Amino acid sequence: MRILVAMSGGVDSSVVAGILKSQGHDVIGVTMKLWEGPNGEMPETGCCTSADSEDARKVAAKLDIPYYVLDYTSSFSKNVIDNFIDMYAQGLTPNPCVECNRSVKFDHFLDQAKKLNCDKVATGHYAKIIKNGDDFELHKADFLAKDQSYVLHMLTSEKLSRIEFPLGNISKPEVRQIAASLGLKTAFKKDSQDICFVGKKDYRNFVNSRIDVSSKGLIVDKHENELGIHGGIHGYTVGQRKGIPGGQGEPKYVTKIDVRNNKIYIGNKDELTTLKFLLDDVSFVNDIAFNDLTIQTRYNSINLPCLIQQINDSQLEVELTEPTFGVAPGQFGVIYQNSKLIGGGRISSKILESAYE
Amino acid sequence: MNNEEYLYLDHAATTLMREEAFEAFKKTEIDAYANSSGGHALSRKAKNILEDCRDYIASCFGAAPNEITFTSGGTESDNWIIKSIYSENKSKQGKLVTSKIEHEAVLSSAEWLQSKGYDVEYLSCNKNGVIDLEELKSNWSSNISLVSIMYANNETGVIQPIQEFSKYIKQKDRKVIFHSDVVQAVSTEKLDFHKLGIDSAAISAHKIGGPKGIGVMFLSSKFKIPSFFHGGKQELERRAGTVNVSGVAALSAALDVQQRNLEIEKTIINNERNIFEEKLKQSLDVEVVGQNTQRLCHISNIQFKNFNSETLMIAFDLNGLGVSRGSACASGAQKPSHVLVAMNIPQKHINSHLRFSFGWTTKTGDGLRAADKVIKTIKEMN
Repeated sequence: MRILVAMSGGVDSSVVAGILKSQGHDVIGVTMKLWEGPNGEMPETGCCTSADSEDARKVAAKLDIPYYVLDYTSSFSKNVIDNFIDMYAQGLTPNPCVECNRSVKFDHFLDQAKKLNCDKVATGHYAKIIKNGDDFELHKADFLAKDQSYVLHMLTSEKLSRIEFPLGNISKPEVRQIAASLGLKTAFKKDSQDICFVGKKDYRNFVNSRIDVSSKGLIVDKHENELGIHGGIHGYTVGQRKGIPGGQGEPKYVTKIDVRNNKIYIGNKDELTTLKFLLDDVSFVNDIAFNDLTIQTRYNSINLPCLIQQINDSQLEVELTEPTFGVAPGQFGVIYQNSKLIGGGRISSKILESAYE
Repeated sequence: MNNEEYLYLDHAATTLMREEAFEAFKKTEIDAYANSSGGHALSRKAKNILEDCRDYIASCFGAAPNEITFTSGGTESDNWIIKSIYSENKSKQGKLVTSKIEHEAVLSSAEWLQSKGYDVEYLSCNKNGVIDLEELKSNWSSNISLVSIMYANNETGVIQPIQEFSKYIKQKDRKVIFHSDVVQAVSTEKLDFHKLGIDSAAISAHKIGGPKGIGVMFLSSKFKIPSFFHGGKQELERRAGTVNVSGVAALSAALDVQQRNLEIEKTIINNERNIFEEKLKQSLDVEVVGQNTQRLCHISNIQFKNFNSETLMIAFDLNGLGVSRGSACASGAQKPSHVLVAMNIPQKHINSHLRFSFGWTTKTGDGLRAADKVIKTIKEMN
């Protein structure tokens, strides 16, 4: 098979290219250039620094596979950066990595593969694709600690039929071992964690540099008692504790952001618990399922048992069996049936039935 | 990759080193490896080779030997001359005039001057890629100290009206240095700097089948510029550092073969390029940049309507055809070419261009083979 492999320069995707090559496939490596600074500089941290693409180039040379850098900066800027700024301006908590997979990476990547007569694309994500009859199912990775199916929830069966995740049944230590045995210099490279276009700096500075959102407003409790002044709503996300006026006895958290009135509501931790909420822009891998469901409301958070009800084609109502803390509008809710991913959508800011009323 | 032979059509980026250059390099490293500035017999041998080569190279470009300084290549030569007008004294800061379509070596050096507070003017070009002399005429000012106009553009091959520029500049102010980046032109053009009225020029050996890392800075004896490299007093005290004599010998050898074979090489290259372009025009929806103007015979810049050049370049590579977008970028950024932007190529086509460049190893049949590969690849993509 001819397979297009997305190579970030990290150990995971390097090993994917190595594994596929050793299986005898015709492998082509590409790095997707997504972000650059105002003067064309590459990011310092994250998944696509210039040092990383240089690493990917070296790995490709070592594996003797063709390698190219593809420029998706304008698509990324339009779909991810603008959305990121917009979400903060609306008092929501964005997840740019999911947004990137949703609207930039996979679509462009699959399209590019088609143009280059590739049968499949492959990435270094930890997730599993299982063929069941005519359906392609997406499952959590065997190595749960690294499972990344959450950020891939938008992939449909049709797309999955053209994708390979070769790391679905391998653990991270094994990946490092394989890298070392292939003589890849990325074997012991640190994993990237930062948002590529923000880096190690505070995301607020990035938002500040893009739009003027610094209008001051009130911080109030649920009874509208004034407790302080905030310097702009983009500096707050629901569930946040930092930057809240002290001297309130119990620790306080942001419970709600009222964009229209430029107001931040704060309250006790129990005011943040949620029982029922809506998901917007919902997509399903295959058919919807209703029994034995759990939901993950943040990347790396634990799965919580839930019931769902379909409102319409793009909206779902989710009811948790136990109230939980920290469901943030703007993040994604991803629904599983055991290890199988059913679908997911963006947590709506509209109805958030708090357990505490 | 297909089993058939890989076809390299990126000679404008760099080309295969000629056998004679290899031989000269090796011979010099064995017979005369000493420092050419030293005081003993072996040094004198190296010095003799160096000066013989300087004489020969100078004669190829109608220059005097003392007008030739050896550098590491075109980029260094361009940097040297452009930055030479820098002065810390504000009142002595002359103006630089160049064009929007120069090579990055010139443009980035110009930007460096700007960052130091210098006034730089970038001349436009017309839709055929020819730099506008009238713009220089209407904006001429007495504080201009350097004008830098490339002989031919590296992305499109379009040849510039160098003699007209020179004539005008000389008539306005003989103290102004007229520099020309001739790096791309020397691959297939015979140039006489004094006849052309060029005061300064940048040359890279590897574009004519010499080694990488050696080049020439030509500067008319009428001018003197400050040194850039400080250290030993080599190269008439203009450029410090042990001279790369074997590189110079290889450049000289490459130039010797090239000059003797230039007409034959040009005929083949020109013929193959024309066949290539004709075949593409018959079979595909393409446009050839600068077709109705004078171009270097080895460069063909093609617009593939409705195709992305990045994808095309990869698909061609996978089908055994190596081409480029015009200038290599390590990070692979797909910025629209500054040359095409200056030519006012419509936005929707600006990322649809690729440069095919032929060279001294091009043989009869390559034009057709290249066209067939292009057509086949594009058919596969539809």
